Amino acid sequence: MFDEPYRWTEAVSARHSYVQEKLKKAYPVLAIPFNEGAFLMAIGPQSGKIYEIYDRIAMGAMGHPADIEKMRMTLLDMSHLEGFNRSVQDVVLGRLLQFGLAPALKQNFEEVMRGPYLVQMALVEVDGKGKAKFFRVNYDGHWETFTRGTVIGGDSKLTSFVEKQLSEVEFSNLPLEEALVEACKLWKEGMDKIESEENGIPETMKKILDDWVLETAVLNYKTARKSIVRTLTDAEVDRLKASCEKI
Amino acid sequence: MKILENQLSTPGDFLELLQKSGYSLPSNNLGQTNKLDSSELIHGTTILAFHFADGVIVAGDRRATAGNSIMYEHCDKVIPIDDYSVMAIAGAPATAFEMARVLSHNFEYYRRSQLQPLSSEGKIRALSRLLKENVGMAMQGVGAVSPIFALYDQEKGKPSIHFYDLLGAEFQITTHTVTGSGSPMVKGVLEYEDMWGAKRLSERNREEAAELAMRLLHTAAHFDTATGKARPEDNIYPIISFISPEGYQFMDEKEIAVIFEKSMKRHINV
Repeated sequence: MFDEPYRWTEAVSARHSYVQEKLKKAYPVLAIPFNEGAFLMAIGPQSGKIYEIYDRIAMGAMGHPADIEKMRMTLLDMSHLEGFNRSVQDVVLGRLLQFGLAPALKQNFEEVMRGPYLVQMALVEVDGKGKAKFFRVNYDGHWETFTRGTVIGGDSKLTSFVEKQLSEVEFSNLPLEEALVEACKLWKEGMDKIESEENGIPETMKKILDDWVLETAVLNYKTARKSIVRTLTDAEVDRLKASCEKI
Repeated sequence: MKILENQLSTPGDFLELLQKSGYSLPSNNLGQTNKLDSSELIHGTTILAFHFADGVIVAGDRRATAGNSIMYEHCDKVIPIDDYSVMAIAGAPATAFEMARVLSHNFEYYRRSQLQPLSSEGKIRALSRLLKENVGMAMQGVGAVSPIFALYDQEKGKPSIHFYDLLGAEFQITTHTVTGSGSPMVKGVLEYEDMWGAKRLSERNREEAAELAMRLLHTAAHFDTATGKARPEDNIYPIISFISPEGYQFMDEKEIAVIFEKSMKRHINV
């Protein structure tokens, strides 16, 4: 079947189309800096998009839950073994991606008889000085780094809009609560660009936050804890909802 | 490790993951080890823990010795394991630090992979398991560890203190415990304070608890050469930590210096 070059490229191309089609309806994950670190944020009808990976690393993902779980466990195993065998400081996202995840994901297009991984990821790492580094990993293993934040989403209209906003708004100067409100605005404006009847998104941000699941991972380098990753507290979520009344 | 093929038979078990990657605990290599001269190994300590009004206090001196030699005066013998637990170590630091590292990764790996914290009982047993696996080294006289483990149980909403013997047996302590080479010198004092002091240990506030811990460690150091005294001129003080509903918290150096000065004065406090 794949003995002719054309057949091979056709199979790879079909695979790209298949994965993109499957990811198209995924709700976005935003990775955004603030003045004391960075956070990941996802809003959707279901949970299962944002996870803590290591002391200074968190992961956001969209795609098939089973594939997200495989990526998550791979990162967890690698980071904990590295942190134990060497040092916490040696657990660096760039290395985990370069030598672990990216080659494995590339198999999506080398073993074309196997089902591809339906997954795309946004990851964040905050160093001891509070500098945040953002990563976007595609389903084919290609990965990129960003300093001003990044986004993953099924629709390119949304991701292009959010990327443009991230390059214009100085999120890294904002305190967490303000950055979260701005992120909610960004999420809503981005979703409005692709909104259609089938999306069924509630009208206001307040209603969205009330009815849907807000997932977050906040990485604050000023915390005294060994692991700087945490979720928002109930009080912080309540304040965010109150601030989002008019969005 | 095979990437993306990570099915563990015990989900969330970091020890199993370590073993799959080729790691083995020291006791598994017993056949290859020669008996060591235990006087050359670093050990010696006084660590203590007791319940006070706001939670649990865990404290320890900073000295590490090998035989008659003082090897180190900055040893941190109270180690945070996860947000809600600390382990105080007495015995061979090489084994004790390794145990703390294994435990820390074990608890965090479980919490992150299973998306829920390991239960308090699970945490307590995890240390028992490590001690049990270390029996061979302890029997050789080179790797014995006698730890105190203190944690806050989020389910029950209360802190607890656990003492272990060298074989891994665990005992929950409802009032106070002391271990290490300096412990015989202060065990009785702690009991006396609890029974006939101006206040029971469990009624003392944070400052009173810290003051008592400081005095007890000073007393132990007076009689036990393997327990280090505070050296304010070099900014070396005992390490003091607390376990409360907010998790663990270490007293910072400035506060410890103030507590030290106050506690060393001859006055009747509690």
